[in-house]
Amino acid sequence: MKLQFKLALYNTLTKMAVIAILGVLVLVSINRISVNHIRQRLLQKKTRLITNLSGVELENLLTNKTFTDYNLLREEYIVVRELKIDEQPVKRKFSQEQRSIEDNNEAFQILVTSFSYKGKKYRLELGEAMTTVDQLERTISIFTLAVMVAAVILSLMADLAFTRLLLSPFYQIIDRKLNKVNDPVNFNYGLIKTSTTDFKVLDQSISTLMQRITTLFLTEKEFIANISHELLTPISILNTRLENLLNDEQLSTEGENKIFASLKTLARLKGLINSLLLISRVENRQYDKPDVISVRQTVADVHEELEHRLPMMNLHFGTAIHEDHHFQGNRSLFHTLLANLVSNAIKYNKPGGTVSITSHSSSGQYMLIVSDTGMGMDKEAIENAFVRFEKLGSEKEDSHGLGLAIVRSIAAFHGIEINMQSEKGTGTTVTINFKLSTPVPSS
Amino acid sequence: MNILIVEDEKTLALEMAVFLGKEGYTIEHAWKKATAEEKIFVNNYDFILLDLGLPDGDGLTLLNGLKQLPGREDAVIVLTARGEVNDRINGLEAGADDYLTKPFSLTELLARIHAITRRKHKLEKNEVSIHNFLLDIGNHKVSFNDQRINLTNKEFEIFNYLVLNKNRIISRVNLTEHVWGDILEVNSDSNFVDVHVKNLRKKLSAHSPIEWFETVRSIGYRINVPEK
Repeated sequence: MKLQFKLALYNTLTKMAVIAILGVLVLVSINRISVNHIRQRLLQKKTRLITNLSGVELENLLTNKTFTDYNLLREEYIVVRELKIDEQPVKRKFSQEQRSIEDNNEAFQILVTSFSYKGKKYRLELGEAMTTVDQLERTISIFTLAVMVAAVILSLMADLAFTRLLLSPFYQIIDRKLNKVNDPVNFNYGLIKTSTTDFKVLDQSISTLMQRITTLFLTEKEFIANISHELLTPISILNTRLENLLNDEQLSTEGENKIFASLKTLARLKGLINSLLLISRVENRQYDKPDVISVRQTVADVHEELEHRLPMMNLHFGTAIHEDHHFQGNRSLFHTLLANLVSNAIKYNKPGGTVSITSHSSSGQYMLIVSDTGMGMDKEAIENAFVRFEKLGSEKEDSHGLGLAIVRSIAAFHGIEINMQSEKGTGTTVTINFKLSTPVPSS
Repeated sequence: MNILIVEDEKTLALEMAVFLGKEGYTIEHAWKKATAEEKIFVNNYDFILLDLGLPDGDGLTLLNGLKQLPGREDAVIVLTARGEVNDRINGLEAGADDYLTKPFSLTELLARIHAITRRKHKLEKNEVSIHNFLLDIGNHKVSFNDQRINLTNKEFEIFNYLVLNKNRIISRVNLTEHVWGDILEVNSDSNFVDVHVKNLRKKLSAHSPIEWFETVRSIGYRINVPEK
C-alpha cells in the first residue's frame, strides 16, 4: 500500500475512533443526566403531592388506581394504594421499568415511596416516561453518525490531497534518482525541490551515495581496461617466443605438443581479456551508435559467417525474417551480439539438430527469436546464464563463459531486451525484443 | 627486404626479429619514437612495423611524418595492444597498409607482409608451386597440371596460409583466426576448421596423393616441402 494511502487511512481511522468515543461518551452522560433530572423532578413532585395532599384527592387517587388525566401525553402517572399489613414501607426507591398505561407500553422512571396520612400508611408510585430521553439519545446518535461520515469523507479527501502534495517530492526522488537510473555515470545530481527537510536529507544522501558508487564504478572499469591492456603485451611476448621455439629443428614431438598446448592456453587468455575489454568498453559507452542497422542484413551476415560451423555437427540453420527492422546502433556490436547467440545455439546443440532465427512483430514491438534444439538448461542455469564466467555446466573447456555477458551488455547499450526460455534436453529460445518507441525509418 | 621494427617492448621486438630473420628479412630496431624518426628519415624500408604506444609519443604522429616525406613507399603495419576501433580507423586513415592487434601470431604477421608485398609490387608471377599444385594467389585459383580445382574461398585461404607457412605446424586456433578473423568466443572452439580442411584434402587428393599435407594430431596441420 502506498504511503499516501496509509497516512490518509490512519488519519481517517483515528478521527473515526475519536468521534465514536465522543459520541458514546455524550450518549452515556446525557442518559445519566436525564435520568438524574427525572429523578429530581419525581422527588419534587412527591414532596409537593404529599404536602398538598387532601382527603378528597387521596380518595380520588385511591379509587382511580392510576392517575394520569392531567397529562394528555401519558408521560406521567401516579398510583397510590394502602400498604398491606405485612408489607414493609419503602422509604425511597428508584427503578426503570416497563409500564402499560392505557394500552401504551413504555419505559418509565419510577419512584416508589410510602407515606402516612391520618394514621394510615400508603404506598405511592410516581412514574415519568423516558420517551424524551430516548428521543434525545436517538437524535444525538444520528447527529454523531452524520458528523462522523462527513468528517471521514472530508478528512479522507483532504488527507489524500495533502499527503499527495507532501509526498510528491519523495516520489520524484524515488522515480528520478532510483528508478530511472540505468547507469551511475549519467546520474542527474540536480536536487528535487522540496521544503520537507527529511526529503532534502534523503535526496542528498542518495546523491552522495551515487557519487560514491560512480567513483567505484569508474575505478573498476578503468581497472579492467588497464589491466586487460597491460596483460595483452606479455601475452604477445609469450606468444611470439613460443612460436619461435617451434622453429627449432631439434624440438621433440613432446615439446612441440606442449608448446602448442601453451599457445592454445594463451589464445584462451587472449579471448578472455578481449571479451572483458569489450564488455568494459560497451559499459563505459566507448562506442558510438553511428549506423542504421538492418536486422535482416545482420542475420544474413551472421548466417554466412557461422555457416561453416554447421557441417561438423550436421546442423540445419534456417532463417525466416518476414519483416525487417531498422534501428540506430553500432553495427559491429549488434553483429557480435547475434553471432554470440547463434554461436551458442550451435555449440550447445545436438548432432543433426536445428538452429533457427525468426522475426515476429506485433503492436509496439519487434522480436528476433533465436532457437535451437540443443541440450537446454534448467531454471537455475537460465537465471545464471548472463552472469560472467557462468558456463551453464558445459563440459566445453574452451568456452570462457563471457559470451552471454557480452550479449547482455551490448543489448543494454542498445536498449534491447533479451529473454531466455529453455527446457533441459529440448532446446533454448532467446528472444531479442526491440522496443519500437523510437523507430528509425528505413532508408 | 628490410624491416624496421618500432617497438618499445624489447623482448617482443627481438622475437619478431628472430622469426622474420629466419624468413630472410633484414631487421632494424627502434625502441623509441625519436630513434625511429631518425632512422626513417635516413633510410628507406620495405616494411615498418609500428607500435602505436611508444614511450616518447604516439606512433600515429610518426606515421603522419613519414607520409609527409616525398617519394616513400615504405609499407606500414600498425601494431597495437589498444585494439580500439578508433585506433584501427585512425591508423588506416593515416596511411598504414595493415593493422594487427596484439597479441598476434608471427605466422599471421608473415602472411600480412606477403599480402602487402604482392599488392605493392604487383608481382608479375604471383604464383606458388607446391608438389605440382599451382596456387595463383592473385586470382585465388588452384590448378594441377593446368587442370582447375574448384575451391571455396575459405579452402583457398586455408591452403594458401599453410603453403606460405610450409614446414611449420599451423594450429587450428591460428588457422581459424587467419581465415575467419578474430571473432570473439568463436575462436575458442575451432574444431570446425577440420571439416573445411577435410574437404580441401579431398579435392586435392583427387588429383594426386597428398601425403605431404599432414594432420598433426590434436594440434593442427602442416604442409611438408623438402628443403632444397
